[in-house]
Amino acid sequence: MAKIQYDGPILEIDKLSISFFTRLREIPAVMDFSVKVAPGEAVGLVGESGCGKSTVALGVMRDLGKNGHIVGGSIKFKGRDMASMSADELRDIRGNEIAMIYQEPMASLNPAMKIGRQLMEVPMIHEGVSEEEAYNRALEVVTDVKLPDPARMLSSYPHQLSGGQQQRIVIAMALMSKPSLLILDEPTTALDVTVEAAVVELVKDLGKKYGTSMLFISHNLGLVLETCDRICVMYSGEAVERGDIKEVFNNMQHPYTQALFRSIPLPGADKNARPLVAIPGNFPLPHERPKGCNFGPRCDYFEEGRCDQGFVPMAAADETGSHETRCLKFTEIDWKAPLIAAETKTKGEIGEVVLSMQNLKKYYEVAANALFGGGEKRVVKANETLSFEARESETLAIVGESGCGKSTFAKVLMGLETATDGQILLDGQGIGNTPIEKRDTKTVADVQMVFQNPFDTLNPSMTVGRQIIRALEIFDIGNSDAERRERMLKLLDLVKLPRAFADRMPRQLSGGQKQRVGIARAFAGDARIVVADEPVSALDVSVQAAVTDLLMEIQREHKTTLLFISHDLSIVRYLSDRVMVMYLGHVVELGTTDEVFSPPYHPYTEALLSAVPIADTSIEKQHIVLEGDIPSAMNPPSGCPFQTRCRWKSEVPGGLCDSEIPPVKDMGNGHQIKCHLSNEILKKMDPVIKIAAE
Amino acid sequence: MEPLTWFGAYAGFFGSFLAVFATLAVLAGLCSMLLALTDSSPRGSFSLFNGIAVVTLLLVGIGYIYNALSPSLSGGMELAALGKILLGLLALGVFAAMLGVFMKTFFDNPAETMGSLFALMLKLIGLTAVAWLGYTLLFAGAGFRDTLASMDPAALPTGEELAQQKRIATMQGRGILASIFMRFLPVWIALGLLFALSMAYKRKLGLYGKLFDNAIGIFGFFLVMFWVFTALFNGLFDMIATHGPLDQLSGMKNKVPGTPLRDISEGAYPFYLLGGDNLARDVFSRMVTGSVIVVMIAPLATLFAFMVGITLGLPAGYFSGPALRKGSLGMIATGVVFGLATLAALVWGGLANFLMLAVILGMLFVLMFRASLDTVLSFLANLILAFPVILLFYLLVTPEIVETGLPQYMAIVLFIFPIVFAGVLISSRFQTDPGKNRFWLMVVLIPMAVLYAVTINAPDSQINLLGPLDFFNPAPGVLVVFVSVVFVNSPTVFRIVRGLALDIHSRDYVAAAQTRGEGPWYIMLWEILPNARGPLIVDFCLRIGYTTILLGTLGFFGLGLPPESPDWGSTINEGRKLLSIYAHPALPPAFALLTLVLGLNLLADGLREESLKD
Ligand SMILES: Nc1ncnc2c1ncn2[C@@H]1O[C@H](COP(=O)(O)OP(=O)(O)OP(=O)(O)O)[C@@H](O)[C@H]1O
Ligand code: SF4
Ligand code: SF4
Ligand SMILES: [Mg+2]
Repeated sequence: MAKIQYDGPILEIDKLSISFFTRLREIPAVMDFSVKVAPGEAVGLVGESGCGKSTVALGVMRDLGKNGHIVGGSIKFKGRDMASMSADELRDIRGNEIAMIYQEPMASLNPAMKIGRQLMEVPMIHEGVSEEEAYNRALEVVTDVKLPDPARMLSSYPHQLSGGQQQRIVIAMALMSKPSLLILDEPTTALDVTVEAAVVELVKDLGKKYGTSMLFISHNLGLVLETCDRICVMYSGEAVERGDIKEVFNNMQHPYTQALFRSIPLPGADKNARPLVAIPGNFPLPHERPKGCNFGPRCDYFEEGRCDQGFVPMAAADETGSHETRCLKFTEIDWKAPLIAAETKTKGEIGEVVLSMQNLKKYYEVAANALFGGGEKRVVKANETLSFEARESETLAIVGESGCGKSTFAKVLMGLETATDGQILLDGQGIGNTPIEKRDTKTVADVQMVFQNPFDTLNPSMTVGRQIIRALEIFDIGNSDAERRERMLKLLDLVKLPRAFADRMPRQLSGGQKQRVGIARAFAGDARIVVADEPVSALDVSVQAAVTDLLMEIQREHKTTLLFISHDLSIVRYLSDRVMVMYLGHVVELGTTDEVFSPPYHPYTEALLSAVPIADTSIEKQHIVLEGDIPSAMNPPSGCPFQTRCRWKSEVPGGLCDSEIPPVKDMGNGHQIKCHLSNEILKKMDPVIKIAAE
Repeated sequence: MEPLTWFGAYAGFFGSFLAVFATLAVLAGLCSMLLALTDSSPRGSFSLFNGIAVVTLLLVGIGYIYNALSPSLSGGMELAALGKILLGLLALGVFAAMLGVFMKTFFDNPAETMGSLFALMLKLIGLTAVAWLGYTLLFAGAGFRDTLASMDPAALPTGEELAQQKRIATMQGRGILASIFMRFLPVWIALGLLFALSMAYKRKLGLYGKLFDNAIGIFGFFLVMFWVFTALFNGLFDMIATHGPLDQLSGMKNKVPGTPLRDISEGAYPFYLLGGDNLARDVFSRMVTGSVIVVMIAPLATLFAFMVGITLGLPAGYFSGPALRKGSLGMIATGVVFGLATLAALVWGGLANFLMLAVILGMLFVLMFRASLDTVLSFLANLILAFPVILLFYLLVTPEIVETGLPQYMAIVLFIFPIVFAGVLISSRFQTDPGKNRFWLMVVLIPMAVLYAVTINAPDSQINLLGPLDFFNPAPGVLVVFVSVVFVNSPTVFRIVRGLALDIHSRDYVAAAQTRGEGPWYIMLWEILPNARGPLIVDFCLRIGYTTILLGTLGFFGLGLPPESPDWGSTINEGRKLLSIYAHPALPPAFALLTLVLGLNLLADGLREESLKD
């Protein structure tokens, strides 16, 4: 089938409205939404979860399911209204002209079919090309997406590949039909940062090479800045600001965009230089939107009698009309006014050492045969000689990508696993070999955890109050049910939730609220050490700041030791006192936040820093893309664990990196780096993040 | 006395409409299927085949309508005939209007148009049926009133006779179907109330309320509740059935449906609505009474199977690592239980049984140090599942085996699970508050234990320790059937629960409970089980259906229950023997079984669909 020739914009969405019809009501998911995508252009669509980004994408694909309907406006693809196309034409366009990449790569791959077959099917079905040509084309795109050994890739099944490789295959599949428009819905959210950086780099390059237009959906402003030419900010079903990316980032014209920027931490600055400001309130549900401006109830510039009167139209914010905003007061707001920092809070004094790990090791034995326990045994080294100390009121960040052993370490600390070797001392007492059922209630209550996934952290079948009370019961707090209930309500106050929430079921809470309940539960027994496992990474940016602040506030009051596990270096920079970088079970770097964020770096830290997308146009970043994926912990590389991806390896003489695990080097002041590189070379390293000269 | 006809006095009039609609429905259905097969594109051209199909359809349809009206067209112009003609013309008008619409859209999408025509016909058939039923019920006695009016007032029979005659005449006016409908009146009223209340409050009723948004679910629930209410009214108040399930009336052997009794005693129901079986019992009454057995045993047996499956499946999915560790409490407990069991076998079961059990349990015990609980239990479950069910049943219910007391021993094991379940459920919940714990354990466990003891204890059997204290004994054979059904159902439940537990085990709230130091049973029963309830409820419905079929199978093979029992399986089997001569005794119980199982399956489908939404 021949491609349609057309010179105008590839995609024109005009005043699109989409509603879902449920049994209770109509849910207007997208309202009055317009955007244009020119040939070869990449347009970013950002906004919080539930603001309707995916719905727009699905609307373009005409894949809204049974209960979704376009209730107004039009979508034109290459000048033709998609509403007037027949089912056949639509199918053809979907296969041939528009391709979509979803967040979860496995969702688009057939697990029972070899990759090669899946790729070849595309041109064979849509263009009727011969099998041989299809194979050649498949080989070509797999090479294009920079997968090693393309021929072998084609003959493997999806589950044999890592997440990053799978996503590359999905991209390859999308490129097979040489589409004119590529829709990417959070294509990298499921991936690790360094892998994400590589995939984003790839998408950018391919866009240039094939001249494909892109609609890039993301909640990450930094990513959009790195990939897109234009941006459209969405809030609660509407586009609120639209324009050239630099223009919007440097000269924003909508209060929501501004609030969004103020609520995300930037790795170029710490909490004193640039405090985070959370957006107050909650995202309105589609059927509970306020009258007038949707952002009204959360807007600092809200003006009664004006902002709550009626529909707010999109208006041009500059002469050319390419920058638009949906705010009534944008001409009156002083956009350059500096942020008035809320009262600066003094941090609690860092006190005594409460927790210390000494040469902690955790190995797992994996047996091959379940029934008879025979067969060869393999050892997975999840944690390799971990040593550090954590003090009262201190925040120690533990940074690393998936599989680096963060969770195992947390499990050993909590007593869900026992250490293979080494010591964990809590107040000088060894607990490393005491499983949780043998620990006394006090110890258990002292070491608690906040979990990553807000949708998973609360038992869906129990009321919020009951769950907290259960924690109080088990920690032996309070003498009667009434006393415990009182205490539970106090805990809700502590995490700034209304007391009425006690009788709610978790599904009636937003993600941020659930996470607050999770924090309340962790502090039920006045925990002294709290392990926070990526506590905000699954939350929306506007909520992240509030939850982070809450954690820090409780820490100040309770002098808690916070072990903050994260892969997001921006937030780590923002809140931690010391940072520990882990890779494949090894601590590769340990030091104060400033030491870790400035040279000399461990090569892995350097790459990690460079991979963080930064939503700040004034920052210049060194560009380091790591090749390949994280090796499996089952089968780690010999010598230095990072040697398969290290770009400094050639600087070490004698192939030491391949053969010997590097020693821990003290760079003074307790700053440790585990690398063979000599001090001279380490000293020569340039900072990764620089503020560009004005 | 005249026998009852199927459709009563007004069959002729409504029947002609039904015939027309049914013919059209069949034709339209066939056409739409053929068109869909031959022409997949929606805007297909008007091919020769389509043309022929449509013309045939029209010709046949008009022919039928003419046929239906012809008797009234040829006869004299009576008022009633005029009415019939008018109605006929109305039908023709409707048909013409339909044709108009139909022709307009037909060229766009012939298959779909035919499909909608088919759907319309089905609706019309339903409407006609309702109209027939209403008309029949309202005017059933009209004929008798006419005869009465024409009779000599002096020759009128006495009051009681008159009433009886009137009753019989009314029933004859109604026919069999409408009479059956009237027999079920209490059920209809109960269903009406239940549905009206549920619909009114459906937003407040959680998953149950959501069921009423789902047509399939509503239909399934309707069928299920129909039988549940039938069983309730019949079992508790002796309603609905017309005669006793075991009553044999002279002259009624193998009589066709609607046969009047030979001599009608005072107040007796004057007809066998669905005929008599080969022992001259009323088929209708046996079918209704049979529902009581099914509705009593199937859900309860399923519940027990769930208790067993859950109590074993949760730990299998939850614990990894070897089932027993040397010197652990589990090892001692298992050892004691196994030891006691072998000892009991030695005392009561003789040397052979003792040896067999000792070897099996010994091997199991050793295995448990090497393999995980999951591996051991799954292996056992597979062992049971791999055994042909029917063979297992034959084994379990043969009198020789029953005499050895095996079913009772199995009852001892299987019935202990609900007690264990309840005990663990309570003590894990109140672990932090010993006072409350003791109180609740006592309140719940003591009655359960008493019930357990009297259930497994039976006079004149291997297990008779209680003697005169045994105040409850299930009907003969019921315990055996119950145990067998629980036994074959639990492995499947076990596997489902185990899979769910494995899945939910990886949730953060389970990890959170672990880091709080909760015990494993609290986590399994209060954190995992409630969140597995969706699939379990669905499976529960499906499984009651399987159990119903299993009960039917058991009855069919004459296993377990006494031969004269009116349960559906037995009656089908009895009816089957004369099937080629008299079909009527076998069909009603078969139909009953079919509707109940269908209802349960549809209900499960509806629940599944609704629980997945939002
Ligand atoms: N099938 C559906 N039925 C009812 N409501 C829906 C359906 N799909 C989405 N919605 C609602 O529409 C709104 C927009 O959802 P959408 O998935 O487009 O958000 P999003 O911006 O892509 O969010 P995320 O960042 O979480 O992917 C939400 O309020 C959502 O609850
Ligand atoms: S219209 Fe008013 S409430 Fe809305 S963003 Fe502008 S200033 Fe804020
Ligand atoms: S030891 Fe070698 S491979 Fe490892 S990080 Fe240092 S330079 Fe790279
Ligand atoms: Mg989305």
